[in-house]
Amino acid sequence: MEQARVRGTGFQTLQIEEYVVEDEPFYMPLGNEIELFEAAYLQKIPVLLKGPTGCGKTRFVEHMAHRLSQPTSIRQKDGHEARPVPLVTVACHEDLTASDLVGRYLIDAEGTRWIDGPLTRAVKVGAICYLDEIVETRKDTTVLIHPLTDHRRILPVEKQGLLMEANEGFLLVISYNPGYQSALKDLKHSTRQRFVSIEFDYPPPEIEAKILEHEAGVDEETAMSLAKLGEKVRNLKDHGLQEGSSTRLLIYAGKLISQGVPAREACQVSIVWALSDDIQVQRSMEEVISSIFE
Amino acid sequence: MAEQDPRLESIARELAQFPAAVLQQYESAHDKARALLSAEDLVTWAEQGAAIARQSVRAWEATVDYYAASMEVLPHFSFANFIPWARYGADLCQASPTIAAAYFRASPHTLPHLRPRQIAGWSELGKSLSKGTWKSTALACKFFEISPQMVPAMTFPEMERFIRFIDILSQRSYDLATECLELSQQVFAQLGESRDNFISLVTALADANGNWREVKDCFAVGSRAVSRIERSQRGRFLSLAERLSRSGQGGVISFLRDGSQGLGQLDYSTHPVVISLGERLITVAPPAVPPFFAMVPAVLSRVSPPQLETWFGEGARLLSENLESGLAFFRMESSYAEELLDRLSAGVELSRVRDVVGLYSRALAGNDMEIAPAQELVDKGIGWVSGNHATIEGATLYLPALVDGAPTKQENFEKLKVIATHQVVHQEFGSFGFEYERPATLFRDLRPLVQQARHHYHNRHHPKPEEESAEEATSVEEAVASAEVVEETGPVSVESGWVTDMQGFFDIFPERKMALDVFTVIEDSRLDARVLREYRGIRRAYRRLQQESLDERPRITEMPAQQGLIEFLIRVSLGQRSELPVATYLAEDAMLMAKLALRVMRVGATVEDAAEATLRAYLFIAGIPNHFIPGNAWTYVEVPDEDDYEDPENIEDLLSRLDKPEQEEEEQEGEGQGQQPYQSPQDVEYRGEFKPELVQLLEEMKEAQRQANEGEAPQLTREMLEELLAQSAELEQGGDYDLDASATAKNLMREVGMKLPPKEAAQGQGPFIHIEDEGGPLEAKDPHTSVYDEWDFRAGDYRPRWCVVREKTMAEGDVGFWQTILHANANMIQELRRQFEQVRPETFRKVKRLQDGEEYDFDALVEAMVDMRLGLSLPDRVYWRRNKLERDVAVLFLLDMSASTGEAIDESRGGPDEWDAPNNPVDYMLWLRNRRAGDGPPRRTYKRIIDLEKESAILLIQALETLGDKYGIYGFSGYGRENVEYYTIKDLNENLSDKVQKRIDKITPLHATRMGPAIRHSVKKLDDIDAKTKVLFLISDGRPQDRGYSREGVEKEYAVHDTRKALLEGKQKGIMPFCLTVDKAGHDYLKTMMGDMGYEVLSDIAMLPQRLPELYKRLTV
Repeated sequence: MEQARVRGTGFQTLQIEEYVVEDEPFYMPLGNEIELFEAAYLQKIPVLLKGPTGCGKTRFVEHMAHRLSQPTSIRQKDGHEARPVPLVTVACHEDLTASDLVGRYLIDAEGTRWIDGPLTRAVKVGAICYLDEIVETRKDTTVLIHPLTDHRRILPVEKQGLLMEANEGFLLVISYNPGYQSALKDLKHSTRQRFVSIEFDYPPPEIEAKILEHEAGVDEETAMSLAKLGEKVRNLKDHGLQEGSSTRLLIYAGKLISQGVPAREACQVSIVWALSDDIQVQRSMEEVISSIFE
Repeated sequence: MAEQDPRLESIARELAQFPAAVLQQYESAHDKARALLSAEDLVTWAEQGAAIARQSVRAWEATVDYYAASMEVLPHFSFANFIPWARYGADLCQASPTIAAAYFRASPHTLPHLRPRQIAGWSELGKSLSKGTWKSTALACKFFEISPQMVPAMTFPEMERFIRFIDILSQRSYDLATECLELSQQVFAQLGESRDNFISLVTALADANGNWREVKDCFAVGSRAVSRIERSQRGRFLSLAERLSRSGQGGVISFLRDGSQGLGQLDYSTHPVVISLGERLITVAPPAVPPFFAMVPAVLSRVSPPQLETWFGEGARLLSENLESGLAFFRMESSYAEELLDRLSAGVELSRVRDVVGLYSRALAGNDMEIAPAQELVDKGIGWVSGNHATIEGATLYLPALVDGAPTKQENFEKLKVIATHQVVHQEFGSFGFEYERPATLFRDLRPLVQQARHHYHNRHHPKPEEESAEEATSVEEAVASAEVVEETGPVSVESGWVTDMQGFFDIFPERKMALDVFTVIEDSRLDARVLREYRGIRRAYRRLQQESLDERPRITEMPAQQGLIEFLIRVSLGQRSELPVATYLAEDAMLMAKLALRVMRVGATVEDAAEATLRAYLFIAGIPNHFIPGNAWTYVEVPDEDDYEDPENIEDLLSRLDKPEQEEEEQEGEGQGQQPYQSPQDVEYRGEFKPELVQLLEEMKEAQRQANEGEAPQLTREMLEELLAQSAELEQGGDYDLDASATAKNLMREVGMKLPPKEAAQGQGPFIHIEDEGGPLEAKDPHTSVYDEWDFRAGDYRPRWCVVREKTMAEGDVGFWQTILHANANMIQELRRQFEQVRPETFRKVKRLQDGEEYDFDALVEAMVDMRLGLSLPDRVYWRRNKLERDVAVLFLLDMSASTGEAIDESRGGPDEWDAPNNPVDYMLWLRNRRAGDGPPRRTYKRIIDLEKESAILLIQALETLGDKYGIYGFSGYGRENVEYYTIKDLNENLSDKVQKRIDKITPLHATRMGPAIRHSVKKLDDIDAKTKVLFLISDGRPQDRGYSREGVEKEYAVHDTRKALLEGKQKGIMPFCLTVDKAGHDYLKTMMGDMGYEVLSDIAMLPQRLPELYKRLTV
């Protein structure tokens, strides 16, 4: 597995298990989630991140992958070898099958050739494997991770007839948005109970404003207003809105504003139209926006 | 006596043969006449009387009146004119002496108003009425009798026309003609210039076939109607009515009454416009005229006259295209009419923006926010009295029903938004969360000092305070259901036995009303400042309203000192900083007050800060006598935007001003000269009504009730409430609902669902709301109600918000029914399950030989490898994939629970069910309640349609559970459009439980079948569900029908078309409708109703339980 870097073209191609978060991603903790995650990592306990969309779950995982890769990290202090922890992220969708995760045979001139899936690769190199929105996958796929998440820490690769023991640094992290799933898409208890859960929610306005200031590069007042807007729009959840406005959307709005787009317009495109197609609901949000922004 | 002419003597002799009255009258008249007439004329005069008397047996009666009248007539008449007059009388006498007598009697007072040449015409008119019959004679007499009044009241041609009308009318009915003649006296006096038109109108009525009976009403209504209309337009209005009548249109009288009432509500200046439009309309479609006039005030309350014309033009266009839709337009029974009106008008109607404002307020407040018109709160009679002012109570935001005043819709909406925002921030910024004990953040807390001071004072003045207040405290404590135990910390807490903190706060002040007013201003300034800070976008609109409010403030210089200071404070709170008038000697106090206001406008100010500021402001104001201030004692000050308030050093001493009440009487005597009673300031409109004490009280009561329901604390007693309310400054007098504390307390308790004494409880059921069909759109006020439009196929438009659907969960009955059915049909159920299990598809099916897939299809792959080795092209279809074939069906069964389902299926085995539902709505409700409350129907020996429906439902559930489809079962019935009942037997989102099983037992025949709204409600339910296939399955036993579910009560198609429309609406939303009916006559209307949508008429009703699952299978597989 060689790393292919195409210099000077502005992009690089990495093998997925080579991806290490080098620059520290901005993350503002709301509680003790960082310490919890570190503890879980050292104890090899899989982690379930719960929370609404766009509240920073993915950012948190990246932040942790970076943090654990640092020479000063708690991991090294604990006596582990000093090496970066790669991050393998798989966005789950409803057609994601077991072979998409574990690996599959491909045809070549000789016959077939086995290719490892992302999960297998993460197991081998000892990466953090982050399965985003795990409930989207089919139930038969979810079962696959069970042996990896208990004391065995093994991944059976049925087609090859292999059992793969997880590398020291491997950790399975899954995320789950309890909000919008129907009963059909609930996480099975046999799966849930293999993880420790860290709950996320949208940050309180003051903190969200700081995040917005940092991420979107807007001034303090605009950031406060955006955070206020976020808070207000979230009040509409379950009343016309399936989901409140995520921090991510607020950041988008902030970015547009810092690019000189008028505030009301920026919120319109990044929040109103993103959240709802219902005219009444859209109008209500527009009214909130026009109350908050000039 | 001079020498008698022998001719006269012979006349006298002749006259003597008649009854004595004749000669008597002659002789007295003769004396007078002799002075006026020449000898020759005198003879002619006398001879004329005799000639009359000679005519017939009773003609002498006329002679008497002739001589009597001539005495008065002669002085004013030349003899040349006199002769014809007398001759006309003689002519009349030939027809009837009575008429002639009436003619002569009326003459002295009538002739002065007639030209000599008109006398002939006048007598002719009388004569024309006389047809020789007794009644006609009486009519003619009547005519002469009232002539003295009638003749001066109208022109002669008018009178001619009027009498012609009376003549025509008399051919119909003499009594009526006589009555009209009598009525005409007062009517014409009032009609003025429009007499002519009125005569035309009544003539038209008398002409038109069938309408002549309305003539009398026309007299009764006409003059009053006309008096409501601008003088110059009266004639036009009447001739409009005339044209209406000539068009063969009935209801002219109601048009006169309602139309004029409509106009009466309008400004006189708009009358010509409206009547012109009416005139235009009558050329297009006369039937549209009355509804137009009835609706015009409502329309003009929202648009200007030019806009009215635009609106009208559109209606007229519709009329020319389709009469029915045009009529619906003018009756405002069409959505289009409303929409157009809304587009044209600048005003913003709450009902139209309710959803948006509701969501907006919800977003701001962060909890559920219901929006309701302010009048609704007033109607509850719990202390709020203004239907125009916004206010907030619990989770309901009450807003004015219409906001206008600004020239554009945009501005009016902004105004509504500001009003709503101001109310909502009461919640967001914690106005009602006031706690007496919580410290302020920007002020030194004076509240604890007040309590101490007052307590000591209390001790000094009351010899046995301990006992008394302890008693008080326990009784109140018992009452306050809040679990909070008032801590016993020294003497202070003895006093704090309040139901609410707000009450406790206001208890501090001797002048509660003033304290509330000050608190309102200060708290409002806090809220406004914070809104302006945190909601930058709304600033512009907010400031505009503040400025508008400032412009409307009364002049401070005309107020007594205390009120002036509060007004000063209001102006500061509204943003005025300069040119503020202040009594010179109060300038310092005023500045202190302004600074107080500025302090609470600061970042971080809480409601407790507002309370502390109020306390201080009150102390300052209370020290000032409420005198008027002379005009030269005013200065104008500027308030710098600096927040540098500091308590005066003597602030603690000022607290003694709170002790005043005990000395009140002395003081009033002492320095009472010129002391004005305190009056509250004029409201600031956009700030609405602020009643913190009541709101907290309601909260407290709800909490108490909640706990009482859990069987814990004792309730507040009514007496306590009354006492509290009697003290409260928030209970205002006046308004439409002048309620005393007792009535308010009762209503409050009802509001939170507290139990009332038994006597009241009986009345407390609330009246059954009954609204006539003719009424306008409805509103869904109660929880679990929804309102739907109804399709009027003649008008080709919806009647907006026409039906209210009330959703209820079916009561639970006995589970035995369920089990019996299961048991009896065990075999069939097994068969059903087997069938349906087959339907259930494999969840995943492997599809082979695909270009792309999960895995290689090894068979295909081996072939491919072989092909490749052979040098053939590499086949690419070597994958397989599991295809998801998930069944994703949601079905809603809608059962007809109308009365007719109570009929026995086999008529030989029994008559209909004990069906005796009364038609009166109130009786119906009682009947319904009893029927539901009953311990289940007596066991019948025969089966009813409804029993089969129930049976089918149970079997179907078995099948559906096997399939795993999402399904809901609902029943509907109801009475009238305002009362469509919709019963949940099994909700779409509910799992099968024994509750559902029990509910099925309770399915009972109820009342009518208004299918449209029930279907629309079902469609809404299905629309909220996420499923690929959605089916609405309607099971009925006959055509849709209900009170008022037709046009003018006759056309059955109306109901059929509305039902069809409702089903089509569902179809557009991807819902497949299917109708199964057991009505054998169903084919005729189902074809219209269902069109190309599926339906089936079940020939044998007993087949229903088997057929239903079969059909369902066919539909969805």
